[in-house]
Amino acid sequence: MLNLRFTLDLGWRAGRMHLTRSRERVGAYLARRTMAAVPLLLGVLTLVFLLVQLAPGDPFRLEPASGVSRGAERTLRRAFEADRPLPTRYAIWLEGFLTGDLGTSYIYHRPVSALLREAAGNTLVLAGLATLFQFLLGTAAGLLAAGSRRAWLDRALAGLSSLAYSVPSFWLGLVLVWIFSVRLGWLPVSQMHSIDAAEHSRAWRAVDFLRHLLLPCLALTLPSAGGIALYVREEVRARLGRPFARSARARGIGERAVVLHALKSALLPLVNMLGLALPGILGGSVVLEVLYAWPGMGRLAYQAVLAKDEPLVLGCAWVTSVLVVAGSMLADLLSAWVDPRTREAA
Amino acid sequence: MRRRGVEPLLALLWLGAVGLAGVFAPWVAPRPPDLQEDVAGARYLPPLTRAHALQLSAERIRVLTALRQTADGWSGVRGGRMEAFDGKEVLGSPEPRFYLMGTDGLGRDLTGRLLYGIRHSLAIAALSAMLAIGLGVAVGCLAGLGGRALDAGLMRMVDVIRCIPRLLLILVCASLFHPSTLLLVVVLGATTWTGLARILRGEMRVLARSDLAASARASGASPLRVALRHLLPQTAPLLAVNTALRLADIILLESALALLGIAAPPPAVSLGGVMASGSDALGEAWWIAVWPGLLIAGMVLALRSLTARFLRLPDPPSVA
Repeated sequence: MLNLRFTLDLGWRAGRMHLTRSRERVGAYLARRTMAAVPLLLGVLTLVFLLVQLAPGDPFRLEPASGVSRGAERTLRRAFEADRPLPTRYAIWLEGFLTGDLGTSYIYHRPVSALLREAAGNTLVLAGLATLFQFLLGTAAGLLAAGSRRAWLDRALAGLSSLAYSVPSFWLGLVLVWIFSVRLGWLPVSQMHSIDAAEHSRAWRAVDFLRHLLLPCLALTLPSAGGIALYVREEVRARLGRPFARSARARGIGERAVVLHALKSALLPLVNMLGLALPGILGGSVVLEVLYAWPGMGRLAYQAVLAKDEPLVLGCAWVTSVLVVAGSMLADLLSAWVDPRTREAA
Repeated sequence: MRRRGVEPLLALLWLGAVGLAGVFAPWVAPRPPDLQEDVAGARYLPPLTRAHALQLSAERIRVLTALRQTADGWSGVRGGRMEAFDGKEVLGSPEPRFYLMGTDGLGRDLTGRLLYGIRHSLAIAALSAMLAIGLGVAVGCLAGLGGRALDAGLMRMVDVIRCIPRLLLILVCASLFHPSTLLLVVVLGATTWTGLARILRGEMRVLARSDLAASARASGASPLRVALRHLLPQTAPLLAVNTALRLADIILLESALALLGIAAPPPAVSLGGVMASGSDALGEAWWIAVWPGLLIAGMVLALRSLTARFLRLPDPPSVA
């Protein structure tokens, strides 16, 4: 029931708690899960490959114009190996995944793996920080609300949290830009650096980067933090009525410690959520990255799809689906670590 | 059951009001959403602006604020400048225009656009949610009540679909075909059903072993009848909650897609589309982006607070 509730509450995937064979070694478990994931990933990638083939439009199509020779289209096509038949390209592409060569992007004219690495780094900074703050802020607010004896504080926090959780993050992004960039002029509107950043000292560049980071990070943090706060409040509150809390109180333990006790027992789903947040951390939030022109994974995938940049689309799909699998594995491992009972549950 | 106060009632009232406003948008809206009476004159007028429309000829209309009658005609502010019109030029008398929510960059009345936006967004959300629930129920029941092979096959399929990042899948699908409202409904519905299928499969597996199922089978009901008439109604609270949450999800997703420019194209007016058009004009007109966001947040909040009522039932109805 707990799992079901968590899924419904947050609309995310319920953590499956199964390390099926009891007391299996972590290494063996990981190996088994990885093996099971291989056909899954292959299926996903093949599906995306075919979907991209189906899409209309041709990235090599050149508008007839002066200075463009008739052979240019063919030359381009050959340069990107896009003139081969479909099965050959599929084979080349599969081989590329094994050797780590993901091909060359049509729009950037650079290796896909290098593009992905850069974008992943940028997204990691933004979404990683945002995830950290989401959990810290959400847990703190939820605990404060659940543990507080003042009804108004509880109501205020719960109200604020549900409001934050309902606001579309990109709308929050727009409003933040409007207030802090357009009206007050304190923070930059978008991008990761100022145009003239290279001319300044290192310290200046760091401050400049942080100023660019602040708004997207805030827009990404607040809505999810609201959801987590609601969840923690509800779970901790439910546990405060359980016998273990009563017996802790009876032994004279302070209320604050009792609340922490309750949090500990509510930790399992929270840890699950963290694992499931992993794809989001690296996969990036497409809308916010596009809005803030943050050169991360989400924006890269968006550009790739719009331009029908086949190698890049596939590269992005590959990274994100690996992350989904890795995230659910991480969630299972973490829950086994937090709650020994799940190690033996079938 | 704990007393939940007035929250759910307020949520229901608000949803009802928004829903009615959407359904009756063509009758409630003061002006059609695409009406551009005077682009230069009615451009970026802030909310609560009182203005007047002067009819110069069949097609030429001038929208003026601060209209005054002068000796030989009318004068007022149009696009930041004073303009005067000869009384003989003007057909009829000036008609009052009240822009409750302000106007956009093409001089269109946002009140009408928002009402039509609610209509469009709600229709898309309702249809996609219906599709998603239908798919989720069908797959969940088949997997939960069917044989082992069917179960395994369907659940692997669900795994694969869940593995593809949802927005990427939507992006690819949206670029696949010509963007249209129908495509949007299909894409949103087809990408949001997997969660329900999973949950329902679990529930069905438990229900299939219950006395309820056994007695229905013993009285000679066909497997289909057992599934649809005896077991599925048991999951009604779950389905209700899921429907509300899917609706909230889809409203949010649809507006995100509109912001990325891959939702239904104009002339369809959606809340996300209005917001997207306001994102380029934050400096001139904050209201274009702010109102649709508030409406979306309000709808999502109400839908979720309704489900919270169901979720907090101490013991969900269950026969297992």
